[in-house]
Amino acid sequence: MNSNVTTKHRKNAGLLSIIPGFGQFYNKQFVKGIIFLVLTVAFFSSFSQTLNWGFWGLITLGEIPKLDHSIFLLIDGIIALLVAIIGLGIYAFNIYDAYHNGKKRDEGFLLNSVREQYHNLLDNGFPYLMISPGFLLLIFVVIFPIIFVILLSFTNYDLYHSPPAKLVDWVGIQNYIDIFKLDLWRSTFFGVLGWTIVWTFGATTLQVVIGVFLAVVINQKDLKGKAFFRTILILPWAVPAFVSILIFSGMFNESFGVINTQILSMLGIDAIPWMTEELWTRFALILIQSWLGFPFIFAMTTGVLQSIPNELYEAANVDGASIFQKFRGITLPMVLYATAPILITQYTFNFNNFNVIFLFNGGGPALPGQNAGGSDILISWIYQLTMTSGQYGKAAAITMLLSLIVITVALWQFKRTNSFKEEDMM
Amino acid sequence: MKKSLTLLFMLIITLALLVACGPKREETTPAKTDEKETETETGAESSEEPAKPETLIVWEDTDKSVALKPAIESFEKEYGIKVEFKELGMADKMRDQLRLDGPSGTGADVVTLPHDQIGQVVTEGLLQEIEVSDEILSTFSESAVTAQKYDGKLYGLPKATETPVFIYNKALMEEAPETMDEVYAFANEFTDGKKFGFLAKWDDFYFAHGVFGGMGGYVFKENDGALDRDDVGLNNEGGIAGAEYIQKWYAEGLFPKGIIGDSGGSAKDGLFNEGKVASVMDGPWAFQGMKDAGIDIGVAAMPTLPNGEHMKTFMGVKGWHVSAFTEHPYWSTKLIEWLTNEENAKIRFELTQEIPPVTTLIEDPIIADNEGAKAVALQSQYAIPMPNIPEMAEVWGPAASALQTLATGKAEPKAAMDDAVKTIKTNIETNHPQ
Repeated sequence: MNSNVTTKHRKNAGLLSIIPGFGQFYNKQFVKGIIFLVLTVAFFSSFSQTLNWGFWGLITLGEIPKLDHSIFLLIDGIIALLVAIIGLGIYAFNIYDAYHNGKKRDEGFLLNSVREQYHNLLDNGFPYLMISPGFLLLIFVVIFPIIFVILLSFTNYDLYHSPPAKLVDWVGIQNYIDIFKLDLWRSTFFGVLGWTIVWTFGATTLQVVIGVFLAVVINQKDLKGKAFFRTILILPWAVPAFVSILIFSGMFNESFGVINTQILSMLGIDAIPWMTEELWTRFALILIQSWLGFPFIFAMTTGVLQSIPNELYEAANVDGASIFQKFRGITLPMVLYATAPILITQYTFNFNNFNVIFLFNGGGPALPGQNAGGSDILISWIYQLTMTSGQYGKAAAITMLLSLIVITVALWQFKRTNSFKEEDMM
Repeated sequence: MKKSLTLLFMLIITLALLVACGPKREETTPAKTDEKETETETGAESSEEPAKPETLIVWEDTDKSVALKPAIESFEKEYGIKVEFKELGMADKMRDQLRLDGPSGTGADVVTLPHDQIGQVVTEGLLQEIEVSDEILSTFSESAVTAQKYDGKLYGLPKATETPVFIYNKALMEEAPETMDEVYAFANEFTDGKKFGFLAKWDDFYFAHGVFGGMGGYVFKENDGALDRDDVGLNNEGGIAGAEYIQKWYAEGLFPKGIIGDSGGSAKDGLFNEGKVASVMDGPWAFQGMKDAGIDIGVAAMPTLPNGEHMKTFMGVKGWHVSAFTEHPYWSTKLIEWLTNEENAKIRFELTQEIPPVTTLIEDPIIADNEGAKAVALQSQYAIPMPNIPEMAEVWGPAASALQTLATGKAEPKAAMDDAVKTIKTNIETNHPQ
């Protein structure tokens, strides 16, 4: 702090603006002060009911069964919470503004006139003004559901605590404790987790390798009919995935599917138990996911390849590099540098890839003495465990744990990739 | 300094907010309770001297409203109450929509649900008990009414029933056999890996229960009309005999491996529609597809098991129910009585082929002369309603897993059934605390 300051405008203004606007009045910025004051009054007059009702609901989750609907109250409560946070944000800005201008006065600067403030607002505030509708939308479309799941995981919401007949209560971290305590959940957990990891890395890596390989091959200068090949290779992406999966499920049928009856028998291979043997189902799933997933990687890599400057290859040619050396030294790093963030999302996507597991064989085949099927990954297993018996609170808790795993891995990966560092690659 | 100040202010304001809602809470709750009391008062009044509502709203199953229209027209004429309807998928949409729309007051007065959801939906408080005279109840078959009861209370009236029957391709099988031994002998002769004598989804517990039940197994022991959730009888002597019988069909190659699992059903339907299967076990919902495929089908009740017993197939009962949120319970009940009376049940059968459990209609030529309907009605006599207690949700998964491991030969009958029962019991204890 500046020691030669004698006046205490900054403190006074800051303290006065506990009542919004008064700090600004103290700083003789009347228009601004009035705006803050009006905003405050408007906020309380329009939202006081929402806030009251919302916070009451959020804390108690209702008091009278059949009348108070706990889940609706929870939703009202979250809305109240968001409104309150936005309000507090404006309030904090009000204090900051008064304090900041008070400091200016302390230091002997002149304060902006109304006209200057207006221009200042237009110049500096314009970007904020522009993003505010999108940001508000984001709060209610993205943040709201996340908060809902987080809060739900701390309640006992299940079939026997279902509104409107019963109330839902806060139970703290009981759901998280239960997940690790109950035999039913614990006994199968590690087997399923193991396969989930194998699945995530196997399927995703394969689809990335195929996608990059094909993109590089198609991108060769001498190849004729590039557009044709690219169109063909994009096709698996164009068909809705669930249709493809259902068709694959028919093709892999052990007794009647074309894979066993036509393709393999033509090659002289005996019918393979695709749907009833755990290992073969898993193998088929990884193949199917590679088929479904590679076009995206292919399209992306093709784009990157075309932006690699030709000089690099020419220089490599001069140095006498082989094709393989050029690929390792130039193409691969450039591609990975540009696509790393998206590759990571591919891994996280497959970690939770419910569709292909559920539609192909319903998580089956069944294994003796286990409550998860042979190809169940965590997400499909949890779906079965919780949705059949309405264990919503526990489902939310496990979702939180899953998200934690995915977020941790993703963050760690993001941090390690070059793409997020500021320095230039070249 | 600045930051800590701001933080302090934020804390103060938050506290102020929280404190502010303390007193108001007291004001809002009593006000709300008053509302509730007046509501129940008017409710009580209306059951003695009910004021007619202007409109009632009905949610009907998809594609079934053709049968609803004539019934509500005559209801409007009779009572002067307008009835509006909307179609919603009965299997899960109906329940989900009622959960959301009911509490907010925009839901239907009358809904239709499969009876095995009643336990769950009543536990959630979405349906209300109805009072119907014994005279009306006696018009329905007893098991259909039982299916509409949960915890001894009546929650609806039955609209239609269905249960799996024996369907055969007349080009490949002359007439329906009386016993499963005959079917077995026929299948042994007929099946060659491309053609099949008899197929059934016995890795799906819904169909397999016919065998289990007939052999003496049971899901939950029934004591005086109440199901005992602690007594699971799938691994008793009869249950294991049933499991052995089921495994035999797969082990001897009479059922191909391609019909096992979730996607096996469509494989089985495909084979039958191509004319490669002489007979199947399937529900009445499959008739139309088979006829559309150009197969000349015959339908009969399921043949008797080797022990001489009839198959105890699972019966599904669709019912009409009164929403817990309706303001007109009296008239809603009147409406569902109207919808299920003999005349409207007959119209429903004619237009949608859904078989109403109205006893007088079962002997009526309209059903007695219809082969499919007759077979379903006949089989219904041996069928038992699917358990409608919420604990049933824990049975399907483990039972199907056990059946699948039996079908693929990965487990022995006793071990598989013991495992299944153990899992079912653990799941019930975990997810359904008493």
